[in-house]
Amino acid sequence: MFTCKQVSHSLSKEDYAKLSPAKRFFLQLHVKLCIFCGKFNRQVMDGQDMCRHFKQYEATNCQCAPELPEGQKDELKALLAAQSAKSSKN
Amino acid sequence: MDRYGNYLYAYAMSRLRNADAAADCVQDTFLAGIKALERFDGSRDIKFWLRGIMRNKIVDQIRKSIKENKVDIDNEDETLLESFWFKYSGIATTNPDPWQFNPRKAYDNTEFWDVFNVCIDKVKQPARQAFVLRMLEDMETEEVCKVMDITPNYLWVLLHRARQQLKVALEEKWTGKDVK
Repeated sequence: MFTCKQVSHSLSKEDYAKLSPAKRFFLQLHVKLCIFCGKFNRQVMDGQDMCRHFKQYEATNCQCAPELPEGQKDELKALLAAQSAKSSKN
Repeated sequence: MDRYGNYLYAYAMSRLRNADAAADCVQDTFLAGIKALERFDGSRDIKFWLRGIMRNKIVDQIRKSIKENKVDIDNEDETLLESFWFKYSGIATTNPDPWQFNPRKAYDNTEFWDVFNVCIDKVKQPARQAFVLRMLEDMETEEVCKVMDITPNYLWVLLHRARQQLKVALEEKWTGKDVK
């Protein structure tokens, strides 16, 4: 059986997927039975969930703010044009 | 460039929080993209292909910034944090603070994600770098430890701190609003 310390390390590092089925079972059992680890697990899960949703939001609905400053954009365009001209020559 | 420049810049800014580093990343990404264009097979959106290239550039930028400001492995801090939580037997003694609002209910509100993006900025370095690499860029623990030159134990402390600071910032910023 795991101690709370081992469980919180494992949950926080999110390495439970790498554990053997038996160890994963005891980890889940501990999380179900222990009030502290249950709450900690919930918070870790909330954090993971939030990051996953944030990445989805970023990929689909992002307002693209802040925007790349115009000066840098023009500079980059010129650089890219030069680079593509160079690579088409080669 | 016109189509994806702003997207990539916003993406880099949300990870690096530094305008110059983000602009450098966008430039390096496009240059690397042009060089590797022959290898692009069109199986996925070019936006995500460029983002994949940018991910490596972001890791390079973080690695560079860590080299310049070496992460100070403060062992005392590590044991201090653990002693609050666990008895010598490794049994938890402190109850984690519950959320002041239900974050899951806010997921559908686009404003929440703007607040979330701002709140990432409130997480102090090096916890933010650890959070970005592990949670937003989905890097393995070992990879993050290698990039940041820290132990897995210290990464655990940093991630814990990042989560706590993010939670506090979100509660401050979000519960100050009219939460539906």
